[in-house]
Amino acid sequence: MRLIVFSRVWLLWAVVFVAGARAQTETGLLEGPPPAVAAAAPERAVVQILVSSQWPVYDAPWRSHPVRRSSGTGFVIEGGRILTNAHVVAWAKQILIRRYQDPRLVPARVVFAGHESDLALLEPLDPRDLDGVVALQFGELPAVQSTVVTCGYPTGGDQMSFTRGVVSRIEVQPYAHPGNRALLAVQTDAAINPGNSGGPVFQGDKVVGVAFQGMPGLQNAGFFIPPEVVKHFLEDVADGRYDGIPMAGVSFEQLHNPAYRRLLGLADDGRGARVDNLRAGGPASRVLRPDDVLLAAGGFPVGADGMIPYRGNRVAASVPFQLTQAGQRLPLTIWRDGAEMNVEVEMEAFDGDRLAGRQHDVLPRYTIHAGLVFTSLSANYLDTVGVLGRDRVWEGWARLLHTLHHLPAEDPAAARPEPVVLAGILPHAVNADLGVRGRALVHRINGVRIERLEDVRRAFAEHRGAQHLLEFVGEHEGPLEAIDRERAAAAHAEILRNYNIVSDHRL
Amino acid sequence: MPKSFLLRLVFSVLALGLVAPATPSAQAQLLARPNWERSLVTIEVTFKLHDAFQPWNEPARAIRKHGVVIGPGEVLTTAQYLPTHTLVRLQKGGRGRWHDARVKWWDAQSNLALLETDDAAFWEGLVPATLARNVSRGPDFELVRWRDGNLETRRVEFGKFTVSEGALGFAPHVQLEVSTDLGGLGWTELIVRDGAIAGLTTYSSGRVCGALPAGFIRRVLDAQRAGAFEGLGYFDFTWQPGSNPYLLKALGLEGQPRGAVVHAPGREKDPARAPQPRDIILEVGGFPIDVEGDYLDPDYGHLMLENLANRAQFAGGRLPIKVWREGREVTLDYVVPRADFANERVPREMFAGPPQYLVAGGLVFQPLSQPFLRGWGEEWRKFAPFRLQFAQFERGRDERPSLVVLSGVLPDPINLGYQDAMMLIVDQVNGRRIATLADLAEALRAPAEGGVHRVEFMPGRSLQRLVLDAAGLEEATRRVVEFYGLPAAERL
Repeated sequence: MRLIVFSRVWLLWAVVFVAGARAQTETGLLEGPPPAVAAAAPERAVVQILVSSQWPVYDAPWRSHPVRRSSGTGFVIEGGRILTNAHVVAWAKQILIRRYQDPRLVPARVVFAGHESDLALLEPLDPRDLDGVVALQFGELPAVQSTVVTCGYPTGGDQMSFTRGVVSRIEVQPYAHPGNRALLAVQTDAAINPGNSGGPVFQGDKVVGVAFQGMPGLQNAGFFIPPEVVKHFLEDVADGRYDGIPMAGVSFEQLHNPAYRRLLGLADDGRGARVDNLRAGGPASRVLRPDDVLLAAGGFPVGADGMIPYRGNRVAASVPFQLTQAGQRLPLTIWRDGAEMNVEVEMEAFDGDRLAGRQHDVLPRYTIHAGLVFTSLSANYLDTVGVLGRDRVWEGWARLLHTLHHLPAEDPAAARPEPVVLAGILPHAVNADLGVRGRALVHRINGVRIERLEDVRRAFAEHRGAQHLLEFVGEHEGPLEAIDRERAAAAHAEILRNYNIVSDHRL
Repeated sequence: MPKSFLLRLVFSVLALGLVAPATPSAQAQLLARPNWERSLVTIEVTFKLHDAFQPWNEPARAIRKHGVVIGPGEVLTTAQYLPTHTLVRLQKGGRGRWHDARVKWWDAQSNLALLETDDAAFWEGLVPATLARNVSRGPDFELVRWRDGNLETRRVEFGKFTVSEGALGFAPHVQLEVSTDLGGLGWTELIVRDGAIAGLTTYSSGRVCGALPAGFIRRVLDAQRAGAFEGLGYFDFTWQPGSNPYLLKALGLEGQPRGAVVHAPGREKDPARAPQPRDIILEVGGFPIDVEGDYLDPDYGHLMLENLANRAQFAGGRLPIKVWREGREVTLDYVVPRADFANERVPREMFAGPPQYLVAGGLVFQPLSQPFLRGWGEEWRKFAPFRLQFAQFERGRDERPSLVVLSGVLPDPINLGYQDAMMLIVDQVNGRRIATLADLAEALRAPAEGGVHRVEFMPGRSLQRLVLDAAGLEEATRRVVEFYGLPAAERL
């Protein structure tokens, strides 16, 4: 399943800019009586966000792509801040805010970005730039079939656009921006298009979501982030620090099979989901065991389908885990050894899989030695070299993919905290004879097992032999390569100069 | 002048014009040119396909290819499509009657087969063709095939000799590549030169058509007829070119750069008998190995060293390999291992019998094999589940030589809740490690504690385990077999 996020490439920003202010329009689209906002229609708190961003090149990590322009939507909330999607402002070099019907461009900065939940908080460099704007208030999770209105600056025009639709369903969905997180999301048939990202979804005068993504192949369907996830983000950053969405490190399976239920001593009453897998070292592994049965989480009864009833919906039992803040304890009722028991799991934010998800706002790590460019194996790197979406599996990239996405779960002892790839070679006489030219997983250098990029530098720096010996990962022992140590050291600075590289590492 | 005389004169001049310019050597060639229509025959093979999702189904398909009479009562062809054949028929002259035939012998790795028929009428008028002793490089060959009932002979250009895996097997051996604009090749057409067979085509891709060279065919057939053919051999260790002089230095090689570097061992662990990681292969069978990993073949020129696994011997033959190891030359008494599909953890082919499966309480188990993965169609490398495909490249062959996969579930009350369980590699059943369906069948004879069968899958991100009621399993399996119309609950 592929999801797309909806910011729009900012090709016509100048045209947008000169569109100028005009009298406030009566949209008539917002549902219900607008008593509290009669004097200040909610759209007045909605802003267009114009972003110039620059992404790094992951297989030449000292370089960046050309500056790209894009736009999204945001809205003013309590505290003089603007809420939007993290993907709208990812890698931003400059952020400009355009208030409703206002000709000025207001410079802003990112205060917090929660890439896991695809939410970000901005503030204008000069707080006075939001003077007179009435902050929007959040409502509750809207009911399925109820009507919502989206508001934002999608492609197809320069002025604010409103679309109306119904809430189609509410469930846990993959979030495209991080790539490896699935959180509660609301599907609607209100049109959500590129440029809508970060815009409010209204029910009455309350914000009940933040528009964020669509799904190719699914017609008349857009997704918005529900108030639960937004509130979690805002509470998280209230202490001035972003911790993130906690991950318990447990996977549950449905428990319908009569023999399995009998084996575990459970009545055939539709209660409970089975603990199938636990991440070694994860918070859940400290209190749960495989084949424990989760009967309730955070007070929500868990069904045999692995779901909980939640505000008129059935959503995955992972939701109460995700809506707990890092550091808080989540009460669980489990069935173990034929009896119910209550336990608590202390939730922790987890970034052990950050390389497997798409990273933002953190420049890629690398080190270069004698023209050999080493960087972290990451989803960003695989995206860059075009491994994802290849039309066939061949051993080289299958090994990269497996190492990144499967090995940590399959064999945690063999997995490396930061797998390192030889991303490429900057050609020079000193490295011209190497047969391995890049996209190869590094196993050892001079006998040092490479767990992270720092090991690469150490392995080269500490070696005193005549040649540096590099071993790559293969089915058993992979290919070997070598470079002359003294020639490599002598050529290193020249190579950096030749290829205009300021620093030989970023660690 | 009578008109008829003039016409006769014109025809005579035209006729003279056709034959008069022929040089003596060309005349000799014409005289030597065999009647390929009396040797080249058409073969119709009906064969079974592997239905990966319902392995008890065996849909059949028929194809036509070529064969050539090479001896009394013997038709030579490639082995492609024959391992699972249900019916083989022969036709001569490119048209007319079909004659029932038998497969006398086939070998997947060499991709060769011999057919025979008791139908005496088939052999009437047919004459054996000659396999060339050796096939030298360029310039041109002719390609001969039956096309719409007519014999077609077209010039093709010599491309190169190369070493690669066969169309059916994984043992690398020498292949002849020719260039041509002709389409629809690879159906055992003849590549001929100087009146003899130079090769049999096995594949075509774009303008390139590959063929088994006659010298290779002749050696395999001679060994087979002498009862001395144990199958093709292969080098099961992994090597890389020694083209990086600093690597050779790092491994201590003295003198001029030469040889190929071993980086993964084969099954033979005895260092006196087999190359070890970081050995540099200097010679194989007396042929020096260059830094590309090639040797100079007296017949074919520079070829990859892999060809030496079958050049002077086949599987089981002794082959001295000289390596550089720890600062000195060592000659290894290497025995060439047999290229056997069973050596692969995910076998490329499963020709030993019909597709295996085992259905237990509606859970369908199959060996993980490439024929199974090919069930995802022509683009199976794109669409088959990644985790199953990756098993082909995975370590651990020594600990678990083969794998069993839960390929799907035929819904039944006993497997309620497991309907979506599929494409999972089985680790253990009732505490017993599973490598084959026979292991699985054995494990199911001894239920786990609690009166259940406990099926555990390989550690990972997907479902880890499920259990089935042991007491009701036999009855449920019977029910599933009947309800879904299976011929049997298992075929091991």
